[in-house]
Amino acid sequence: MDLILKIMNLSKVFGGLMALREVSLQVEAGKIVGIIGPNGAGKTTLFNCLTSLYSATKGQIFLGEQPLLPEISGTKVKLIQQCALLFFLISLAWLPLSWSFFLPHTFYKLELTLLGIFLLGIRLLVARKLRRFQIWAWGVMFVLLGGDGCLAVWWLTHPSKLGHLAGTGIPLAYFAIPWSVFVTPFSVFLIRQLLVRKVRQLYGFRMGPDAITRAGVARTFQNIRLFLNLSVLDNVKIGSHAHLRSGLFSTLLRTRLQRKEEGLIEAEAMEQLRFVGLQHRVFDLAGSLAYGEQRRLEIARALATKPNLLLLDEPAAGMNPQESSRLIQLIGEIRKRGVTVLIIEHDMKVMMNLADYIYALDHGVLIAQGTPDEIRENPRVIEAYLGRGAAHA
Amino acid sequence: MFGGQVQSRPALFVHFHEGIFVDRLLELSSLFLQQLVNGITLGGVYALIAVGYTMVYGVIQLINFAHGEIYMLGAFLAYTLVTVLGLPFFAAFFITIPVCACFGVILDFVAYRPLRKAHRLAALITAIGMSIFLQNLALMIWGSQIKSYPRDILPGLFFRPALSFGDVSLSWLQVFILTVTVVFMAFLHLIIHRTRVGTAMRAISQDKVSSALMGIGVNRVISFTFAIGSAMGGMAGVLVGLYYNAIFPTMGYIAGVKAFAAAVLGGIGSVPGAMLGGGVLGIAEVMGAGYISSEYRDGISYAVMIMVILFKPSGLVGRQIGEKA
Amino acid sequence: MIKSPGAGITHRSMFLGLLFLALLLPWLPMGGFTNYVLRIITTAVLYMILALGLNIVPGFTGLLDLGYVGFYGIGAYTAGLLAIHYDLSFWIIIPLAALNGALWGILLGAPTLRLTGDYFAIVTFGFSELVVLVLRNELWLTRGPMGLPGISPPSLFGHNLVHDWEFFYLALFLLMIILLVVTRLENSRLGRAWFAIREDEIAAQCCGINLIRYKVMAFAISASIGGLGGAFYAKWFKFIHPDMFKFWESILVLCLIVFGGMGSISGTMLGALLLIPLSEILRMVLPQSLFNARYLIYGLVLVLMMRFRPMGLIPFERAQADKALRARRRLAAQEKEE
Repeated sequence: MDLILKIMNLSKVFGGLMALREVSLQVEAGKIVGIIGPNGAGKTTLFNCLTSLYSATKGQIFLGEQPLLPEISGTKVKLIQQCALLFFLISLAWLPLSWSFFLPHTFYKLELTLLGIFLLGIRLLVARKLRRFQIWAWGVMFVLLGGDGCLAVWWLTHPSKLGHLAGTGIPLAYFAIPWSVFVTPFSVFLIRQLLVRKVRQLYGFRMGPDAITRAGVARTFQNIRLFLNLSVLDNVKIGSHAHLRSGLFSTLLRTRLQRKEEGLIEAEAMEQLRFVGLQHRVFDLAGSLAYGEQRRLEIARALATKPNLLLLDEPAAGMNPQESSRLIQLIGEIRKRGVTVLIIEHDMKVMMNLADYIYALDHGVLIAQGTPDEIRENPRVIEAYLGRGAAHA
Repeated sequence: MFGGQVQSRPALFVHFHEGIFVDRLLELSSLFLQQLVNGITLGGVYALIAVGYTMVYGVIQLINFAHGEIYMLGAFLAYTLVTVLGLPFFAAFFITIPVCACFGVILDFVAYRPLRKAHRLAALITAIGMSIFLQNLALMIWGSQIKSYPRDILPGLFFRPALSFGDVSLSWLQVFILTVTVVFMAFLHLIIHRTRVGTAMRAISQDKVSSALMGIGVNRVISFTFAIGSAMGGMAGVLVGLYYNAIFPTMGYIAGVKAFAAAVLGGIGSVPGAMLGGGVLGIAEVMGAGYISSEYRDGISYAVMIMVILFKPSGLVGRQIGEKA
Repeated sequence: MIKSPGAGITHRSMFLGLLFLALLLPWLPMGGFTNYVLRIITTAVLYMILALGLNIVPGFTGLLDLGYVGFYGIGAYTAGLLAIHYDLSFWIIIPLAALNGALWGILLGAPTLRLTGDYFAIVTFGFSELVVLVLRNELWLTRGPMGLPGISPPSLFGHNLVHDWEFFYLALFLLMIILLVVTRLENSRLGRAWFAIREDEIAAQCCGINLIRYKVMAFAISASIGGLGGAFYAKWFKFIHPDMFKFWESILVLCLIVFGGMGSISGTMLGALLLIPLSEILRMVLPQSLFNARYLIYGLVLVLMMRFRPMGLIPFERAQADKALRARRRLAAQEKEE
């Protein structure tokens, strides 16, 4: 009972619309699991959350043992908020002063104060953004703090230059010393925080779609997304991008690694194309293929990423019965290769013939789950959605 | 520790004690206030141009690079009417506005409408091409020498100060510019929020397809948008030509970039944002030129634009756009 | 429906043929005009190099870069300053200028490449304008409006290159290198990743391509080629001035690749080859008063191309079809051997 995918209470909200509401499902390794539901039920949204094209509002997805969505623990949030507040408070005292040193003599107290308030506003904005863990805010904060830190260090080492606050008699030493005590270690602390990867995950930097593909999840799309102006072979070769290594220098220098990999990619791509039955169209442009062939090409490309889990979004859409029989055969072959398949489909014949287990969605909510026979009898499913050819399956 | 000075209180309070605090403050800040006044005037002009950019971006998601050229054509047109045809200034002013509106509509019709369905990159490149074409067309027609209005043609009133406050003065010309700006901004606001066309514009900027399905003549409303934006841009051109008394074919390019920066600063797609952005950028530019460095005067706009796009692409007012959905 | 490649000569072989003919150019009898023609063709070759560099960003990756002249200028000034202050050899300056360009490409690209196309274009434009402003105003570094005269010519084994034909061959040599680099990139995992990003970013991500990483790489490589072109320019003209690096140059290079076909290498080169000498021809043919007409015409070219043939003379699909054809032939040849 090896769970390759476990989705727990996944919710996704778009503005006012709750597209997914507390959806939970599990997929066992090596099985074919189906998802059915009327249009707008949230099936493609589910796929998009899975592959990180949308960021889920709530819930968690486990790929094997690995959680895909960022967790934000309470204590870390508090820590960040406290840092932001500290940053703001220190800036309150320091900011206009630190800038007064650099400005030309024409600056007077009024302008200085206004400028200080303006820059303070920027720091306030940054502190606000920090609470939502935006990475650029960290960057700006480091730059500002770093600048102030350098200033403080310089002044500590040149105490004679410290002088007084422009026009008043207050010695700047009063500010420089406490500042340097706080700033430099503070910046160091924050930088270190950011560099630790676990912390990044905790703070909300999520895995992008490319990382998820590299982790072994591949997908096809409801509206075919092929690279139309590229050849069929290139389309599949791009699929194998995920698990290869040759980069800029190996390309430019034509290293042995690169040549070996290119040969491997080409062989693999040809093999995938033979597997889906497109070997006679290898050198044609993807845009010139017939619709059914394009669907198969998309599957070949997805297979080239060497997935453990393949997500198929309505692969049989627009196919005639003969083509969909071939598709059923193909997906069966894919299962034989050891790939787990999660398939969204409206065509009941395909679904009933392939799926080991089916989940039914409607309006973002899981309304039923079970074996194909159970689903077929389920009154809620029948009520929500009279499947095409359900009676003939 | 105090460096040898025997001061028991900071200098600020010393002035209070002397009772001339207010005078000192005024003296130190008169430069500041004068710059502020100049900045607001310039800001008004930028707002007028920025509004054109932002409205067009709102309805067709295109950065109309050629908008700056319409501004330049407005300036040249008024100049030509006044110097060659001998019309009085105000007549030229009021003729230029609708003519520029027509220019805008023609520009849309000829260059942008055929590419409505094309890739955005293609439309952007077309806009750049039109901008270059118009710039050099003007160069060919009027030559590259800087033109100025002869002094006696303009109402003498313009150059006398209207208000004086110590060293700070506000000329009637500046009053004129500010008044025109405010009046036309209010007018625009009325159009956008109180008329059918304005509502149609707002609808199209949200969802073009649905708007068409609702029976809105999308192309016509877009033409109207261009007309209004270009009218205001042309007007701004006339005003700037008057204010700085320098008219040359590349003025559209420079002002266009700055106005675009203003539109981005306020939030592209948002008209109040463009107004706010224009004001802020005008003030920032004048202040920066005065206090920091006058060579990098133009650079301030570029820097502001880049900073805003990087850190807050939705601008001061606008909605969240700019990053990949 | 996109047509599949037919039999016939691919554009690649056409260009190699042309290149071979070009080698003979200085020996052709042209009356007294040899040097003049050589200079024009050298300019065209320089712009071919620049166009190949720019092509990587909008052509391969699908992002509009309006700030190319910034890198061109950075490269030129790097070369000029290094030559004047440190008297380094040309062959060291070239990679240094390219590296500097790449560095600035990364600095500019890393924070901005996550933006949508329009905004990215604007930011690149702003950057290039800032670069020009800095070049013009920072007198302590660049001598500003006085320009940077007296850049030493490149030398090969101690012999200074001064003749027009020497520069012509040098330009051709650099072009060969860049061509090699670009074609190798096109046919590699990297190039395919870029094409994927151009065609469909979302599908590319789902094939495991990290968008930011590849976009930054494309931008940096494009910037380094721009820098290299700038270095050659500095050493060729021996005098550089901030006014030589206006926004106009970015548009010109963009025009070349739009006209020739964004994304196709042969198209890019063809565009440069046709349009640059055209500017010279126009300069000769038109009277002085209509001098600016050539800028007008470039603007018009952009507008008309986008309206009637936005994919350019040699469209991207054509180039891909050609590539597929070559691959088919290669595979057929391999199978024959077995």
